[in-house]
Amino acid sequence: MNEADFKELKKGGMMRQAEGGLFSVRLHVTGGRLSTKQLRAIREAADRFGRGEVHLTSRQGVEIPNVPQDSLSALKELLAPSGVGVGVCGPTVRTVTACQGCKVCPSGVIDSPALAEAVDRRFYGKPVPHKFKVGISGCTNNCIKAEENDAGIKGWIEPRWEGPGCTRCGVCEAVCPTKAISKSGTGEELLIDRSLCIGCGDCIASCPTGTMREENRGYRLFAGGKFGRVPFLGKRILGVLKTEEEAVAAVAAVLEFFRAHGKSRERFGDTLRRTGFPALESYVEEKGELP
Amino acid sequence: MTTPVLDITGDVCPMTFVKVKMGLQKIAPSGKINVRLKEEALKNVISSLKTEGHRVTNVSREEGTFLLEVEKAG
Ligand code: SF4
Ligand code: SF4
Ligand code: SF4
Repeated sequence: MNEADFKELKKGGMMRQAEGGLFSVRLHVTGGRLSTKQLRAIREAADRFGRGEVHLTSRQGVEIPNVPQDSLSALKELLAPSGVGVGVCGPTVRTVTACQGCKVCPSGVIDSPALAEAVDRRFYGKPVPHKFKVGISGCTNNCIKAEENDAGIKGWIEPRWEGPGCTRCGVCEAVCPTKAISKSGTGEELLIDRSLCIGCGDCIASCPTGTMREENRGYRLFAGGKFGRVPFLGKRILGVLKTEEEAVAAVAAVLEFFRAHGKSRERFGDTLRRTGFPALESYVEEKGELP
Repeated sequence: MTTPVLDITGDVCPMTFVKVKMGLQKIAPSGKINVRLKEEALKNVISSLKTEGHRVTNVSREEGTFLLEVEKAG
């Protein structure tokens, strides 16, 4: 093997295949989005160095399988002008997944691809105790399955009930998917149980009088999820983060916490089960200068 | 003149809203129409009405269904 190919191998992103001497080359894709220029470059690379096919991974990635090891650096060079890099593996921050978000999807609350780009730019490939996955859903319909990720984010709408003007028509209670809204004991007030509320905003969208209002709209973070051999769903932490900057700062603080407390080869959810989630929340609140 | 009643309890999305739209076409601006619907249709129908500038001026319950009084945009 020549020097250049050996160097590429060491950097990672090349999966050794079951069939000896062949590699499946993982590409760096963010939020499942590729330009046609990039697709043409990928096609060219797969035709020239692979067997004219690509594999779409379970997390919006692309791999070019069946690449002989003496073609690795040439393949990388061919892709470079289009802006497609080789991906990462090992204990690093992995592919950031995202749905199309509010610019495309009518249900969207946040611009998930934009946040994915921002998170990717700062953290992709950075070392952590174990692989770390970030997934971003534009709203609580959660097409990206935020809770499967070490850090998941969802677009979130938080309702507030304004007493005067409410006709007690019962529509908000009827539409709430989690029965988070109920009448107070005396029936005079409507109460929203924040622990049950999933931030869908349906009560706001369907309140005929506009009494159910938007208190906050933004980003909600879920920590410690994973799939694989022993799946675990991430848990909701912190309040609603109002800006993309706050969301990125929160992810930065979460990664710092993981580096400070995670053991080598320990997934983030396992770290959190040792430290407890409140330890993470107070750390992030302090570091991330968050509400 | 009595307010016309549109029953969409037998319809599912998106026919629920299509029918409401057709019902609204038949009445004059600022006119009223009553819509009887099932709980499942509440969110989509009301939120679409609001988005298009119409108003839901009254809501009442009748044996497992809802009756909306809708005022067409002026
Ligand atoms: S998560 Fe929400 S915004 Fe994203 S694609 Fe699904 S419905 Fe649309
Ligand atoms: S839908 Fe609006 S008006 Fe009706 S009970 Fe709820 S808050 Fe009050
Ligand atoms: S936002 Fe959704 S989950 Fe929360 S109270 Fe309103 S309808 Fe219920």
